[in-house]
Amino acid sequence: MQKLLKEFAEKAFSRPPELKARKTEGRKIVECVGSFIPQELVYAAGAEPYPMCRGGEPEPTDACLQYMLRFLNPFAKSLAGYYLLGLDPVTDIADLIVAQQKDCHVSRISELLEYLGLPLFKVGVPPDWEKGFAFDYYFDALGMMKARLEDLTGMKVTDEGIRAQVESANAIHELLRNIDAFRDREAPCVGGYDFIRMNHYSFYCDPSYTVSQLTKIHDKISSAGDVFSNQSPRILLAGHIVAVGDYVVPKLIEDSGGVIVAEMLDEGLRDFHGTIETTGDMLRNIAERLYLHRVPPSVFQPAWRQRFDHLEAIVHKRRIDGVIWYQLSFDEIYDMEAACVSKWLSDAGVPFLKLESSYEYSREHMGPLTTRVESFIEAIREQKR
Amino acid sequence: MSSGIYEEFLDLAGFEGTELQDMLPEWIEASGRLGLSEEDVRFATREWIPKYFDIELKGVRKLIGAFMREAIDLTRAREYKARGVKILYGILPAITSNYMAIKQSGQDRVFVSFPDIFLVAVLNGFFHRINPYLETAEAQGMTYGCRHCALNKTRISARLLDVIPSPDVIWTWGFVCDEGPKTDEFINCMCASDWDVLITRLPHDTHFGEKDFENERRIRYLARQMEHGYEAVQEKIGIRVTPESIADSVGLFRSYSTKLSELISLVCSADPQPFSGTELSLLGYPMAMPFNTGFEYVTDALETTIDEVKQRIAQGKGIIPKGAPSLGCYFVSAPVPWICKMFQENGVGLTFSLNMTPTMKMLEPPRYDDPYMAAAEAWLKRPQSSNMGYEIEASCEKVDAYKPDGMLMGAYDFDRWLGVHQKVLSMAVEEKIQVPHFYMESDFWEDRDYSQEALRTRIESICQIVKMNKMMTSS
Repeated sequence: MQKLLKEFAEKAFSRPPELKARKTEGRKIVECVGSFIPQELVYAAGAEPYPMCRGGEPEPTDACLQYMLRFLNPFAKSLAGYYLLGLDPVTDIADLIVAQQKDCHVSRISELLEYLGLPLFKVGVPPDWEKGFAFDYYFDALGMMKARLEDLTGMKVTDEGIRAQVESANAIHELLRNIDAFRDREAPCVGGYDFIRMNHYSFYCDPSYTVSQLTKIHDKISSAGDVFSNQSPRILLAGHIVAVGDYVVPKLIEDSGGVIVAEMLDEGLRDFHGTIETTGDMLRNIAERLYLHRVPPSVFQPAWRQRFDHLEAIVHKRRIDGVIWYQLSFDEIYDMEAACVSKWLSDAGVPFLKLESSYEYSREHMGPLTTRVESFIEAIREQKR
Repeated sequence: MSSGIYEEFLDLAGFEGTELQDMLPEWIEASGRLGLSEEDVRFATREWIPKYFDIELKGVRKLIGAFMREAIDLTRAREYKARGVKILYGILPAITSNYMAIKQSGQDRVFVSFPDIFLVAVLNGFFHRINPYLETAEAQGMTYGCRHCALNKTRISARLLDVIPSPDVIWTWGFVCDEGPKTDEFINCMCASDWDVLITRLPHDTHFGEKDFENERRIRYLARQMEHGYEAVQEKIGIRVTPESIADSVGLFRSYSTKLSELISLVCSADPQPFSGTELSLLGYPMAMPFNTGFEYVTDALETTIDEVKQRIAQGKGIIPKGAPSLGCYFVSAPVPWICKMFQENGVGLTFSLNMTPTMKMLEPPRYDDPYMAAAEAWLKRPQSSNMGYEIEASCEKVDAYKPDGMLMGAYDFDRWLGVHQKVLSMAVEEKIQVPHFYMESDFWEDRDYSQEALRTRIESICQIVKMNKMMTSS
């Protein structure tokens, strides 16, 4: 499986030169920020999407400090930071960046990108999601995004075009669901570190390649033996995002003897649990799936009780032994939610560990982080015995 | 307990005669509920307020008094609620005329307040004692290290410590930051499940430089949000707002705004600077929050201050020497009054706040007859609610109008909307209109992280540069 995963990674990371070549052929490149931006629309407009979802390194966050105050979460700062450092291989050739405007962190960084002269299109995502007119606002915003893409590529986006892309996305999601199901076993044969990376690679690669590669991975896993012991503490990883490249914590959890058998993250993973309807108004289908039929992100309001109900359901369904809350520094909404989750999980008797990252993984930072994770896993293992 | 120091405090706060005597027992009781000891009151009366507020002016004393009336009234909210009075809260920033119109219509049947801002303005501004509130919220999960907003922490603690009751509804506007509205969800989840929240929000999705108030879709959406909120609040508290109340409230704010603009102009154009930025900022608060005790006390304070400032100008009196430079600010902090004083001690005056100063566009009449569309348009004219591109343009207009020797930015380090962009805002405005901008990271509401000791050298350094620049341009 690791060989297939490596191939997948290589394909994903060869995407920038591939895009450069496509650009010379006249294709438009569109970078996408956030889970409310459907890549399917970009494909349907005949453009090439590329997710801005990288993180896990301190230098890009520092690069932002010339322009922005330090109290932004490091993922948001990285969105501009890689570009400022000249480390972003795609932004320079991108014809458009489409960014969701869901929270202040990404919204202010989007403004910085505009200030730096980059072409941005913003999709407003109202947080008061239970109001009918808030949904209408998001749906309109997707309509405007579609029109902007049509302007960019000169190609009409049709329902048929969207449907074809949605069918591909649904196929990817189904494969991810099937792979995820292997984690439901008493002795899981795939862990979260690999599963998260599969998700990430699937964002970059062409959908047909992704389907083919995930199929191979699925088949390989199903014929392989157990990878984790049935004594490994089963961990739910929850929080905001594990960005592309930010793998220290998931790997550390599994290196310490735990296994991540489920995630509840707002960004950086495909919402593979459901499918998008393929009949009727396709844009509306996408809008409903992305806005209404999902676990509300932390910044939505109300959200935390609903989110905890969902988290609790995962805990029961996946027989979770402990929850690790992975939070980015200065992410104020997640910090507040963490207090609620901690209290409610404590009431329910489920072990909880809150970790916070500024993307600083130096030796000095890794020592305490490793100790905390190892102690948590060890304590759960003891309980499990 | 001796009532002497409490009486002395009320005297300092502009109370007189029988009113002072009537207020005294209420003030003694309220101070206990607020967590203030006799020693705290003594410290405020004898040291803090005389040192940092211009109490030579009757207008300033009346202003302190107006805030104290409101703080005392806030501590009675529990009794009001027990008597069946409906409790309506809000948070910054919001169009306060909406809340005042509800008060006008409901009169004694409704209690209206933005409790956190009053508590911070009073407890930190006058007593330097907000820390226990902040620490209580931090123990509840608003972690110290994450840089949460002091207002939000105070709101949480005010409920936890039972300083205020849960409202019948808190109408929370989230047009700027995310943390404000989410704090009410936090209170509901962690402290008081009867904390009923109604939110009105708007995504930050206009493009750089776009004028929000010209974007019909945005105006229409915001109008819809406001109408929805207004209707829901009225339904929850069972009070219908009359058109007359709306008109009265809007008129009240317009009248206050005009007088405040007059004072700002006086302060910014006079040499020597006759009045300090701290009190100017505090006089601006009524533009941003409702007063359950009514508007007459702050209006009286403002009018008295204007007269006194005019007298000072006529006499050539100032708070800093003639010819001394002055700085405009993003927002002069009244809850941390020593910042302004420290600048003055170093020969530099702080004057207007960008956040409290209207653009020309804001003074134009609305394009719409529909009250919600008009209110939405008015809100979207506010630069700080808009995108950064437009805020840069509006800031250039204001800075150009008041012609300070420089601008002091910062003070909102906790705010992921109003604070995080101020470096780039400074850069852009400075480049466009060549007025030097100084960025000083600090906190508008409290000073635990940014103490006098921590900021002194930064302030001294800024003052030296400003004074040198002034000398160079004058010579």
